[in-house]
Amino acid sequence: MPKPVRAIAWALVFSFGVCGPAGAQWWLNVPTSNVPRAAGGEPNLAAPAPRLADGRPDLNGVWEPIKTYSRDLAADLHPDTKSVPFQPWAKKLADERGDGAHSRDDPPARCLPQGVPRLAGAPGPWKLVQTPGLIVVIYESFTLWRQIFTDGRKLADEVNPTWLGYSTGKWDADTLVVETRGFNGKAWLDQVGKPSTEQLRVTERYRRKDYGHLDMEITIDDPGAYTQPWTVVEHFDLRPATDLLEFVCNENNRDLTHLQSATD
Amino acid sequence: MKTSTALASLTLTLLAAGLPVQAHHSFAAQYDAAKPITLTGKVTKVEWTNPHIYIYMDVPDEKTGSAVNWALEMGGPNALIRLGWTRNSLKPDDLITVEGSLAKDGSHLANAKSIVMTATGKKMLAGSSGGTGGTGGGAEER
Repeated sequence: MPKPVRAIAWALVFSFGVCGPAGAQWWLNVPTSNVPRAAGGEPNLAAPAPRLADGRPDLNGVWEPIKTYSRDLAADLHPDTKSVPFQPWAKKLADERGDGAHSRDDPPARCLPQGVPRLAGAPGPWKLVQTPGLIVVIYESFTLWRQIFTDGRKLADEVNPTWLGYSTGKWDADTLVVETRGFNGKAWLDQVGKPSTEQLRVTERYRRKDYGHLDMEITIDDPGAYTQPWTVVEHFDLRPATDLLEFVCNENNRDLTHLQSATD
Repeated sequence: MKTSTALASLTLTLLAAGLPVQAHHSFAAQYDAAKPITLTGKVTKVEWTNPHIYIYMDVPDEKTGSAVNWALEMGGPNALIRLGWTRNSLKPDDLITVEGSLAKDGSHLANAKSIVMTATGKKMLAGSSGGTGGTGGGAEER
């Protein structure tokens, strides 16, 4: 075999062996092509975080929370936040909801959206797709999505309130800073019932600290329910060898008849 | 049984991945972790649906001997698929033993943690939101 042909042949073998689909299957277990690998061939998740051609950190990937932060957003408070600064009405409501007595009224129990930031910390992976000017996040949980515009656009003062709000992002060195507002105030910030209002503004700071690990600092600024902004920290692991599946919650939701509610 | 063997090895592989299960509601508001229950009987129906898979089974009542139909809530299809299940893993007339937690409302409903197939003895985790299912059932909203 002439040398160039042999090189192409090897390139083909290599690319199919590493990148190509391993036979007919769906994408539950498909190794990502460009994962740095250790000597034994396993993914080296402690390798440096990759960068895109423009020099920005590459946040692309399938990520999954290391714990169910959606259960209790205050599970890991930032060192600057000593406790959740509830307003009295919000504390009273959170205490009433906290024992599960109002669980039927929690929007996700009715297959309504988790809201932001609860969605990223809900069980199940999410996929970040980074393009110039726009980052799209697809969440397996309830098959929801967010658009984070990084093209410099400004959000209008008056927007129609929504469950997941309107997001814009900018870079602070290697950290992606996402500001979201325009919420409808219907979401519980977590399953134990911390309330939100239409005044909620959420800041998420995404930092890929190495190949396989992403940290997120989340600041809740909701003067309608809290006396001052407060911040939590969440951690996400890369899932280098799987992908998202559809999850349509409202297909057969039988729980409402069994969950407790204050209206019983 | 070929399928079951394949399932068991898949289960082990995927358990190692430690993917959390999906739960969209509070476990504690619906089930009582302090009331474990073990049910043995025959599968009558499988609802392979979101947000939870339901298995219905006839369990002989200890006193009367007549069958009582129980509903078992499990994780959603994605959680179970990642634990190695397929939609054909359980079929009507299969004999199974289920370990789980009783519903608080007193109905014939339980949250399944694991299922043992009588025919093969294979144990499969049920992706329960309240389960203690090792690494496969780690994260939960309860």
